[in-house]
Amino acid sequence: MSTNANVAGATVTGTASDAGSPMRSFLIIAIPIAIVAALPLLPFVNNYIIAATVRALIFITLGQAWNVVAGIGGLLSLGHGVFLGLGCYTTGILFNKYGIPPWIGVWAGALLSLVFALVMGSMTLRMRGIFFALATVAMSLALVQLSRHFVDLTGGADGLALKFLGDSLWAMQARTPQPFLYGALVIVIIFYVITRWILGSKFGMEMMAVRDDEVAAAAAGVAVFRTKLLGFVVSAMMTSFAGGLYMQYYMAIDPEAAFGLSQAIQLQLPALLGGLGTAWGPIVGGAIMIFLSEVTNWGSTKIGVEGADILVYGLALLVVVLRAPKGIVGLLTRQFSGSTR
Amino acid sequence: MSAPVCALEVKDISRNFGGLVALRDVSFKVLEGEVMGLIGPNGAGKSTLFEIISGNMQPSAGQITYFGDDCTELPAHRRRRAGMCRTFQKVRLFESMTVANNIRVAASQCMADAGDVRREVAAILSQLRLEAQAERHPAELTLADRKRVEIARAIAGHCRLLMLDESMSGLTHDEAQYLITEILALNRSRGITVIVVEHVLSVLAAMVKRLVVLHNASVIADGTPSQVANDPLVIEAYLGTKQKALR
Repeated sequence: MSTNANVAGATVTGTASDAGSPMRSFLIIAIPIAIVAALPLLPFVNNYIIAATVRALIFITLGQAWNVVAGIGGLLSLGHGVFLGLGCYTTGILFNKYGIPPWIGVWAGALLSLVFALVMGSMTLRMRGIFFALATVAMSLALVQLSRHFVDLTGGADGLALKFLGDSLWAMQARTPQPFLYGALVIVIIFYVITRWILGSKFGMEMMAVRDDEVAAAAAGVAVFRTKLLGFVVSAMMTSFAGGLYMQYYMAIDPEAAFGLSQAIQLQLPALLGGLGTAWGPIVGGAIMIFLSEVTNWGSTKIGVEGADILVYGLALLVVVLRAPKGIVGLLTRQFSGSTR
Repeated sequence: MSAPVCALEVKDISRNFGGLVALRDVSFKVLEGEVMGLIGPNGAGKSTLFEIISGNMQPSAGQITYFGDDCTELPAHRRRRAGMCRTFQKVRLFESMTVANNIRVAASQCMADAGDVRREVAAILSQLRLEAQAERHPAELTLADRKRVEIARAIAGHCRLLMLDESMSGLTHDEAQYLITEILALNRSRGITVIVVEHVLSVLAAMVKRLVVLHNASVIADGTPSQVANDPLVIEAYLGTKQKALR
C-alpha cells in the first residue's frame, strides 16, 4: 500500500517504504552516502578507486539532470550535451581569461544555459516526438562547429585546458581526487532532493501529465508548453552545474567531449539503465555504468581488445530495454514492492 | 424570474481543411443548466466542432462565446480553467498516475489551496463512487470505470460546461444507463451545463431535452428529440429508416 492512503492528498510517487518505514527509507539513503564518504578512510581504497567513484558521481549528476526532462517530462532531448558544454566552457573561459573562480563560473554557466534553454525550448518544444529530438541534435552539432570556429575563445578543435594552480579551494582544484569525491557527492544529494521534490510537487505532476498525454493534460487545465519549457530549463541548469564540476575534475574540454553526440548519449545512460522518471534510477544506473566501464576496461587491456567497454554499454542497454524497460530500479521495485523509488 | 444565461454560443463557425469544408456557418446556443445532444452521421463535423469548442483547433471563421466572453482565441488549458471541460471519444487518462492523482492534476489547476484540492478530489471520488478505485492505475480499470474517471477529471476544480464525446460507446446497456444517471446527477447537483455527442440515439433521446443535428458540415435541425425525429430533413438526411431509433 502506498502513502496515497489519504487519496485526496496523495503524492504521485509515495511508496510503502516512505510512509510505513521511515527508518528503512533513511537507511536506504544514508548507507550509500556513508559508504562513499568513508571511501578515503578505508585502507584498501586507493586513488584509482576514488577517481572511478568521482567519475561515477559526475555521470550520476548528468544522468539526474537529464532524467528531469526525459524521465519525468518525457522529452527526448538528444542534445543535452549542449548544456554540459556551456557549463564546461563558461567555467573554463571565465577562469583562464578573467581569473574568475569556478564558484562564480558555474553560476554564470547555469545562467547562460538558462537563457540558451529558453531560446532553444521556445523554438523546439512545440515539436512532437522525433522532431523535437532531431532539433536538439541539430543544436548540439551547431555548437560543435561554433566551438571549433572561435579558436581564441574556446581553443578550437584542440579544446580548452584549465590553468592548474595546484591545491586551491579558491580555484576548485586539487592534486588528488578526494575533494572532488565530496563535492560530487554533495551535488548528487542536492540533485536527488530536487528530483524528489519535483516528483512530489504540483509541477512534477503536471510534467508527468504532459508526458502521458499532452492533449489530455491541456484538457485538464495544464499549460503544456510552459510546463515543458520550465522542465527543460531546470534540467539544462542542472546539466550545466554538473558540467562545471566535470570541467574542474577533468581540467580540460574539447568540442566533441562537450557538445558531441557520444557525450550526449553517455549522459543519458545512467537514467536509461537505472530507471527513467525515478529519483534513484540515475544513481543506480550511473554506479553500474562506471563499474562496468572499469571492469571491461581492465578486461579489454588484459585480452588486448580496445573499446570493449562501449560494447558492454550497448549490450547492457539492450538487456535493460528488453528485460527491464523501467530500468533496474523498476525491476527492483517490482521485486521488493516499491522500496527504492 | 430572470432569463436563463447563455452558457455557450457557437456563432457562424466554419472550418476548412484545404478544399474540404468540415463545418459551414454552424450556429447554436446552449443555455446554462441545459443538457443538449449533438448528433450526426460519420463525417458530419461533430468531432471538428468539439475540437474547436474545446480550443484544440482554431476555426477558419466564426466566434465562440462562453458565458458572454469571446473565447475563440483562448488556448485549451485556459478554457478548462474557466470551467469549459471535456472528455474524449477514446478515453485519455494519465496512465502513470493513480485515479486520485488523475483527478488531482485537474483540481489543482483551478484551486490554489492544497486543502481545497484535497477536499475536491475526495468529493468527486465520492460523488462518482470511485473511492474503491482511487489508488488504482487506469490500466487496472474496466472501460466503464475509465470513462467515469475521465468525467471525474473533467469536472474537478471548476466546471460550468461539460462536453462528453461519445461517453456511452463501448458500454453495455446497464453501464450506459448508470453513466447517464450520474451525468444527470452532476447536472442537477453542480448545475453543470452538458453537451453530449452520441451515436446511440435512443440513449441520447432519453437523456436530453434538446438535440442539434449536424449533417454535411451544417446544422439541419435543432429542437426536442421528438421534433428532430419528425423533421423531414433529418429523416431524409440522417435517420432514414432508423427513425424508430429515436422513439
